[in-house]
Amino acid sequence: MAVSVLIVDDHAGFRAVAREMLETEGFRVVGESADGASAVADAGELRPDVVLLDVQLPDMSGLEVAELLAKAPGPAVVLTSSRDGSELGDRLASGPVRGFIPKAQLSGAALTDLLA
Amino acid sequence: MSPRVAAVAIAALGVAAAAGALTLARTTSQPRAALALHLVAVTIGLAWILAGALAHARRPRNRTGLLMVGVGFAWAATSLSSADWSPAFTAGLVIGNLWAAMLIHLVLAFPEGRLETRAARVVTASAYGLVLVPAALSLPFAAADRVTDCAPECPENLLLASDRPGVVDAIEVATVAGVVIVFAAAAWLLVRRWRRASPVGRRALSPVFGTGLIAIALLISAVVVDEVTGGGADWFLEIALIAFGTVPFGFLVGLVRSRLARGSVGGLVVELGETDLEGGVREALARSLGDPSLELFYWLPDEASYVDAAGAPVQPPDDPDRGATVVAHRGQRVALLVHDPALRDQPDLVDAACAAAGMALANERLQAELRRHVEELRRSRVRIVAATDAERRRLERDLHDGAQQRLVSLAIVLRRAEGMAADTPDARAMIERARAELDEALRGLRELARGIHPAVLTDHGLGPALRGLADRAEQPVRLDVHLDGRLPQPVEVAAYYVVAEALTNASKHAPEARVEVEVIERGGRLSVRVTDDGPGGARPLRGGGLAGLADRVEALGGRLQVRSPAGGDGTALQADLWVDAGR
Repeated sequence: MAVSVLIVDDHAGFRAVAREMLETEGFRVVGESADGASAVADAGELRPDVVLLDVQLPDMSGLEVAELLAKAPGPAVVLTSSRDGSELGDRLASGPVRGFIPKAQLSGAALTDLLA
Repeated sequence: MSPRVAAVAIAALGVAAAAGALTLARTTSQPRAALALHLVAVTIGLAWILAGALAHARRPRNRTGLLMVGVGFAWAATSLSSADWSPAFTAGLVIGNLWAAMLIHLVLAFPEGRLETRAARVVTASAYGLVLVPAALSLPFAAADRVTDCAPECPENLLLASDRPGVVDAIEVATVAGVVIVFAAAAWLLVRRWRRASPVGRRALSPVFGTGLIAIALLISAVVVDEVTGGGADWFLEIALIAFGTVPFGFLVGLVRSRLARGSVGGLVVELGETDLEGGVREALARSLGDPSLELFYWLPDEASYVDAAGAPVQPPDDPDRGATVVAHRGQRVALLVHDPALRDQPDLVDAACAAAGMALANERLQAELRRHVEELRRSRVRIVAATDAERRRLERDLHDGAQQRLVSLAIVLRRAEGMAADTPDARAMIERARAELDEALRGLRELARGIHPAVLTDHGLGPALRGLADRAEQPVRLDVHLDGRLPQPVEVAAYYVVAEALTNASKHAPEARVEVEVIERGGRLSVRVTDDGPGGARPLRGGGLAGLADRVEALGGRLQVRSPAGGDGTALQADLWVDAGR
């Protein structure tokens, strides 16, 4: 069964490219959200296996969204950002967050590695 | 007629009246009192007239002077009852006590020269009434020798209708009672006025209380005693007279005194020259004028408004219960004095003090103006720094949202292309090169963006931002950060740039050294300290990146120090910032 993914990012361009790439590599993209509030709502409704979550969202930080998603038994969270992850430091490895992938290095293989 | 001329005329008339009174007293056919007594009495009258004339010359608009003159002439007029000529004699009997009513009028009107309250006017009117009405009522029934001690050769009482001793006695008793009441009421009014007065007001009233109240009290007692003992206590009357004689001088002093409450005008000038404190001029003036409620406002013509000693704009109170005097220096308005209303009656005093203070006031005003400008400058500096930072944040955001996003998408597409070219090694090699270039471009862009403004600082605060700096540094950096949550943005930005610049300098001049960064927030102050154990060496504070840093730190009211002695003791950069300044 293909792994289902919810893409959360406020840039439509990135969402489109990421969707195309992930689908080619065998993932099933079940939804896209542009901000934190709708991300939480969509995650509850669509029940994806993975949420690909941009750290920088217009209404709240990606980390806050991750914390909200951790409340109910939910999806794995993979954080991403166009900036590098050095600034997130120790907050990366807590809760449902499995890890961080810089956007420029996003690929199906990288995702699979993290989820393993 | 100018006041001076009027005063001289009054004095001349007074001397004539005194001479006349003395003549009447010494040439009377009635039993004569001692020459000494007559001389004392005449001198008293003359003292009142001359003191009153002087007071009028000095303060023509104040009626106190003329009232004093009135008392003097009324006093002289009592000698009319010594005249042998019956009309004069009778007139003397009628107005014999007018001087007492005038004295009450004078005392109650002091120092303004006007009766200010209704109670004062009632008491004064009663006094005049008591002087004239009983005389008019009883004289028709009193033989001359009953009213005054003139036997055996009395002039005729021209008002005599029929001799009724009983009526006269009764009226006399009632009159004495009335006198006691009126005097007591006057005394009570004075006491009440004293208790309600401010320190300045009391100083103005004190001569009246020193002499006038005592004189009045003595006179009441003398009247009562005279009535009770039937004229047997002359000595008491003489004491009262002497006390009465000192009163005009008390009034004169009170009216024209220009002496300051403390020290002299010269002393004030010296004191003002020596004062360094902010608001020192107000203190010195308040002490000298005896008015602790004194307020001082400086006029800034450029701003067309008043300011206080600290340079803050302020609106002087528009209170009818307070006096206000404009202080001018060389014809220009310099300041405004708001003071006790009682000082309005001492314009000489206020003018002298203001003249003495003119230079010091102009000085203090300049200082207030300076402080105002400095505060304006400080605020504008903070505004400029904040504006620049806002620009940079915007720039970084635009970069992030624009170019970076596109390149990231490009990277993902290239990765897919790489996957699709799995069977074509040449194509794959090309795409790999393209990806390498792209990675470089992305990295360079990220660094550029971070140099413009570190987003992590805005998003996560000073601690994580400093950690990022430490991680990216090429030499070992030890971080020692003690912060209690987020700080105001300008403060965090300033602290970040201090550390960033210090690390840059260290990497340039002491690349082998170990660096320590210590950031502590304590008691409203943020202390940022970056030290390295490199070779040191003098580095001018005003050169290069540190200059802009110093501006930023100082705009927040902080301080930047560099200690870098040559000779291998390392370099220390310390910035101290006020956490509140960023708000």
